[in-house]
Amino acid sequence: MTGRALSALVLAAVAAMLAGCGDRGAAKTPSIKVVIAEYSKDHTRPFWQDLAEQYTKQTGVKVDLQIIDWNSIDQQVTTMIQNNQPPDVLNLNTFASYAKDGLLYSSDEVLSAKTREDFLESFARGGEYRGKLYGFPILASARAFFYNKDLFAKAGLAGPPQTWDDFVHAAVKIKNLGSGAIGYALPLGPEEAQAEWSIWMWNNGGDWKAGSRWAIDSEQNVQALQFLADLANRHKVTQVNPGKTNRTDGAFQLFKDGKVGMVIGFGPLAAQLDAEAKVNYGIAQMPTQLAAAVTLGVEDYLMAFKKKGNAEAVRQFLDLYYRPENITRWITAEGFLPVTRSGLERMSGNPKLKPFLDALPNARLVPTTDPGWDRVKLDVQQNIGLAVQPGGDPAKVLERLQKNAETAESAR
Amino acid sequence: MVLYPAVELVRASLSRYSVTGLYQSAAGARNFRRLIEQEALPTVIGNTALWVTAVVAIALLISLALAQLLNASFPGRRAVRWALIVPWAASLIMTAKLFAWIYDYYFGILNRLLTAAGVLAHPVDWLGDEATVMAAMIAVGVFVSLPFTTYVLLAGLQSIPAEVYEAATVDGAAGWRSYRSVTLPLLRPALLVATALNIIYVFNSFPIVWTLNDRNPGFAHDTMITYMYKIAFKSALRDVGLAAALGVVNVLVILVAILGYLAAAGWREDHV
Repeated sequence: MTGRALSALVLAAVAAMLAGCGDRGAAKTPSIKVVIAEYSKDHTRPFWQDLAEQYTKQTGVKVDLQIIDWNSIDQQVTTMIQNNQPPDVLNLNTFASYAKDGLLYSSDEVLSAKTREDFLESFARGGEYRGKLYGFPILASARAFFYNKDLFAKAGLAGPPQTWDDFVHAAVKIKNLGSGAIGYALPLGPEEAQAEWSIWMWNNGGDWKAGSRWAIDSEQNVQALQFLADLANRHKVTQVNPGKTNRTDGAFQLFKDGKVGMVIGFGPLAAQLDAEAKVNYGIAQMPTQLAAAVTLGVEDYLMAFKKKGNAEAVRQFLDLYYRPENITRWITAEGFLPVTRSGLERMSGNPKLKPFLDALPNARLVPTTDPGWDRVKLDVQQNIGLAVQPGGDPAKVLERLQKNAETAESAR
Repeated sequence: MVLYPAVELVRASLSRYSVTGLYQSAAGARNFRRLIEQEALPTVIGNTALWVTAVVAIALLISLALAQLLNASFPGRRAVRWALIVPWAASLIMTAKLFAWIYDYYFGILNRLLTAAGVLAHPVDWLGDEATVMAAMIAVGVFVSLPFTTYVLLAGLQSIPAEVYEAATVDGAAGWRSYRSVTLPLLRPALLVATALNIIYVFNSFPIVWTLNDRNPGFAHDTMITYMYKIAFKSALRDVGLAAALGVVNVLVILVAILGYLAAAGWREDHV
């Protein structure tokens, strides 16, 4: 490279950096950046747009609202933080790494006492890092066990299975109906494998952690994963290649098409099934090896990023969202579950939500309060499917996941 | 300003970031050392070489035939020329999603056609079966590369003066002989351009491999571009510094590949 080209390059870089600084200094009208994940095309943007307008009218603070789809939100938020332009308010399914990096306000700094006290206790605990609340619950959902009533009747099955033995029995009977019937749609592809896996693992008495240590390769977990591998390769009651099937365009699609006897679903799947009115389905408790069935609860978060002089603006925005009429309106529209006491009161009469609300007391959360979870989750998503492929080795896959989790732990 | 992203990329590759993307410290060559240690790297490099070579070579061969066809005059030629542009205009993500459905084990039209025609006894999980997923992706890569390649070659064909063919006919060369001794040599500049640009496009292509491979665990079918994305956002590594290091390597690889190709093809002698 010639000296001239080099100096041009340096100049360009400097100019760009100066331009960046200019942007930050030039904030004349106060504004906050709010980044929200897109839960649905129909409801997410209209609700938040409306909320932002209300907020601006009340406070005079402008809102730079960004609605980002789930596929690219991790990438876009990481880039914002990498470029030192974090949002003021962020909605995501994880929070602990941000708390650990010291980027967030705790609830003491930006939530009114009234809002804080309205949170359902289990969800408030699910947003704590080192004893303080950083991940404010924004909404929740719970998984439930869906079954195709017509296929069950055809196979001569009286009702949904209670135990794992019942479950295998039912799956085999449905498969034996022939003409492409599938007993159970098992999605262990990268999209959401950690959710499917959590539910089976818990119902065999296993867990992600034992105390403060990772316990991914525990005996119960190896057993549970072997059980899933057997469904695929020994009983052959799943769809083809369950380790390479995603949830939305794989397992759900097959269930919606009436090909599948059983699948683990959630509220939005029920809404789609109702809208299409093609499959006669029922919702039940998970089959379990335990005395009481366990399901997965999912909690998503709102976070407030520490920036100079934004605390008051952020507090007002959060208070507006957490007004019972606002948060309930949105959660109802999206078909999710309440995270506040006032919301629970308002929504408990809704018959559509009943099976999911009933499941909530037995719902467990994945360990999102551990900053290590972000990496463990991705590792599980990328690798657990390998265990249920022909020739896969459940014990080895879990051993490796455990080792990676421990290595990440000690590197911190 | 074109160079600014490149500067940023190099700077990121020499830095250490937390899982959130927060800058931690300078890292020296640490990211590059860690990159070399990644178990998946040899597989990914092999996939990339196969992906680029196969897509570029097959697309070029088919495009040569297509360009020849479109250069001949026949009724409806204008319509066919337009039709060829369509896959070019469609977004790569939409095209890739469409093919994901075509390939689908349960709902896909490909299995239905092939089993109905008796070619296959049982349906195939094209995107899940280890033996077919790469070939399935390469087929889509070729499909979307055809319009651009064909048009570059067609432009090349049209720049060959008719007199040259007349002279060849007088000398007794016709058909295949004329194609080999007259058309191909004169098409050389267009071939060079089409190949060089295709190498860059195909190497950098993200949507096809990403979309068609999204169901598969691990890194067994990733190219260096999708692997870079997974390092940054979708794997346990979750490290933008390490991903930037691979980004730097990617830029260098493509630079070397193109310079190597042009040197081997004798770019300078031709003064194209």
